[in-house]
Amino acid sequence: MQSKRIVITDVGTISSLGTGFESLNEAMTRTPQKSTVKDYDFHQLENDIECYSIKDYDPVQILGKKGLRNKDFSTKILLGTIQTGFEEILSNTDEYNKPGISIGTAFGSIQSIGDFLSDSIISGVNSVNPQLFANTVINSPTGNANIRFNSKNLSSTIASGFNAGIDSLIYSYNYLRKNYIQNIIAGGLEEISYYALLGLLRSGMLSNSGDPRPFAADANGVIMGEACALFLMESEESARERGANIIAEIAGTASSFDPQTAQNGKSDGESGAFAIKTALEEAEIDADAIDFIASGANGNPKCDKFEAAAIKKVMDTKTPVTAYKMFTGECYGASGAMNVACALSDLKNKKISGKAKPYQTIDDIPLVFEPQYKESTYALVTSFSCEGNCSVVILKNVN
Amino acid sequence: MLMSENRVVITGVGLVTPIGTGTDVFWDSAVRGENGVRPLELFDPSEYRTKTGGEVRDFKAEDHLSEEDINRMGRSGQFAVAATRMALNDSALKVSEENGYRIGVSMGTTMGEPQILEKAVHIKYDSGSEQIPQNLPRQYPCASIPANIARVFKIKGPNIIIPTACAAGNYAIGYAFDQIQLNKADVMIAGGSDPFSGIAFTGFNRLLATTPDICRPFDLNRSGMAVSEGAGIVIIERLSHALARGASIYAEILGYGLGCDAYKMTIPDPTGSGGIIALKRAIKNSGIAPDEIDYISAHGTGTKENDKSETLIVKEVLGEKARTTPVSSIKSMIGHTMGAASAIEAAACALMIKNGVILPTINYSDPDPDCDLDYVPNRSRSTDLETVVSNAYAFAGNTSSLVLRKFKG
Repeated sequence: MQSKRIVITDVGTISSLGTGFESLNEAMTRTPQKSTVKDYDFHQLENDIECYSIKDYDPVQILGKKGLRNKDFSTKILLGTIQTGFEEILSNTDEYNKPGISIGTAFGSIQSIGDFLSDSIISGVNSVNPQLFANTVINSPTGNANIRFNSKNLSSTIASGFNAGIDSLIYSYNYLRKNYIQNIIAGGLEEISYYALLGLLRSGMLSNSGDPRPFAADANGVIMGEACALFLMESEESARERGANIIAEIAGTASSFDPQTAQNGKSDGESGAFAIKTALEEAEIDADAIDFIASGANGNPKCDKFEAAAIKKVMDTKTPVTAYKMFTGECYGASGAMNVACALSDLKNKKISGKAKPYQTIDDIPLVFEPQYKESTYALVTSFSCEGNCSVVILKNVN
Repeated sequence: MLMSENRVVITGVGLVTPIGTGTDVFWDSAVRGENGVRPLELFDPSEYRTKTGGEVRDFKAEDHLSEEDINRMGRSGQFAVAATRMALNDSALKVSEENGYRIGVSMGTTMGEPQILEKAVHIKYDSGSEQIPQNLPRQYPCASIPANIARVFKIKGPNIIIPTACAAGNYAIGYAFDQIQLNKADVMIAGGSDPFSGIAFTGFNRLLATTPDICRPFDLNRSGMAVSEGAGIVIIERLSHALARGASIYAEILGYGLGCDAYKMTIPDPTGSGGIIALKRAIKNSGIAPDEIDYISAHGTGTKENDKSETLIVKEVLGEKARTTPVSSIKSMIGHTMGAASAIEAAACALMIKNGVILPTINYSDPDPDCDLDYVPNRSRSTDLETVVSNAYAFAGNTSSLVLRKFKG
């Protein structure tokens, strides 16, 4: 059981980088494009806040009109990502053998909850639309996906903040290693919402320069993004039996928690280092086998310092470090999954992506500012949150 | 029999419920069949059809948390940290620098900290969004619940929250069980927490799913669920680890099963398809036969749809044995504590196994032909329990069953 190998055999994404894995591959060669929240009619916010939003996604075009009434945007992003990314396996299996679904999210249905609350304040508690109540539970998008695609095998939602997307992969990895079911569509989902932005604004986490500078010594905050990134995960045996194309193996995973970061934001990086070391042990490789690090750095000075300290404790100081949030913004519960999707793209395209004017980094982290072209075998994907969560996944290129 | 390295046991329990905070208070009240669903006092229900619910009235945060911690978290986090403290004390487990990385936290919830968002939205409408205190937004994400547990007790192992609505406690315990079996941890603090939520109270009222008075699961005249609040924590531990430190053991966790109705967001599948999958998987994963089950702790919300569907599930999976297997719902006493429900019920099952008593379904008077099992009406029942199942289902179709067994060395 312990040695069962888990692989990724399909990818689906909808993000500011477009719809589908191929769009993501192509978009990562271009300069990222931001937009502002005024595009979204978030008129209650006084500031024009820059973000990386999903554009050009029409749920009706992909999903049809039926069944979308009363569904919130998070649900529509998730349904569209599953529809465009995993149609083949969903249409070729019966309801009891369809892949399970496991989705990570930080804020979940916060927009729906906030709207429901606002409606109850403005219209009165006896006038709110009861049909909208279903959207207020955090597992609503996942449950809607199970219903739409008639999957009875598994419906899980993980909500560990920044780490939720990567933790959903770790959850699914463990679930598959226990041999409970054959395959799972796992990943992360987050929409840009008025309430999330308001929360970030009030807690002073948004960048006041509108410039995401992961690991920058002078970084001043994050830029929010929205995305859904999903992966079809199954055992290597299952993939080979059905003749599936194996994109990568998940060679190791680990998670830990840093109480000191949670207490006062001051961390020596030890808990993060522990997670990296544990994942390396599970993958049965040394730190110098890692070709690049797909970091979770986002421009939040405390988070990035915590992550830099953890990386420095374990990894070779020359191992290139990417920060895909240069391209995607901080997609919260989707960000870990987006990092995995971007790392898979780099593994496939034999490069390590970066797109920024060089700047001084914390602890001289060797951040990739311009693409480096090289073939890689192992990518270490990290996600360290300001709340103290440390999650690590090691991807192995098997092609 | 599994080797002790793979066996997982419960060594501590912590409870915050409408019939009492603390395991002894809860147990005494539950054995007596106390009704914790009462006219609401902490929440103003004057505008609503329903004016009752389950509130934890004896909870004093200052008895369990420092002033700084009280100010750092919402009511859900306060419940969770308090229940964890009780469970750790009960288990006599000390967290240290040496074992910190081998202890993890796995929690469930429906809405996390809804009272924080409710407060923020009210401030926005009353005074403007710029008046929302700077420290309030960070208290909202439900990730703060397990994070606060780990922060307060300096726990460094895996840390997760699984918000699968009313089945979340079982999901969290199941994940914790796997973490130990996969050797990711030796001990997991697992459970669920949810405070009384105005959003949930409004929503269930608008769906006409709430009882206007008391909760009567499986009764012919059942009139709905009672929105409630609470937290349940169990310390689950590798058997060899528990034995090595001489811990007292409540019960063994044999396994669990998950499924999904994939039917409707707010109504269970009338055929019970997801519940049948979960119960069959739990039985298979636990390596037991259906006729070994001595008792089932029902999801038993008191709604027409749930109780009828759950009865079908039990009959489908247990066959003839269903007729003689006691099935009860403690939601009749504590109401529906949402994401905490199945964690509290798992803890209650551990206590039932340890004490040899089945807790009753109170408020039961008229049998329903569609619900024709032994629901342990109104009075607790003394009996030796070997193998027990706890069912939990949820909004969005989540289904789960957990199997516990009396510990035998």
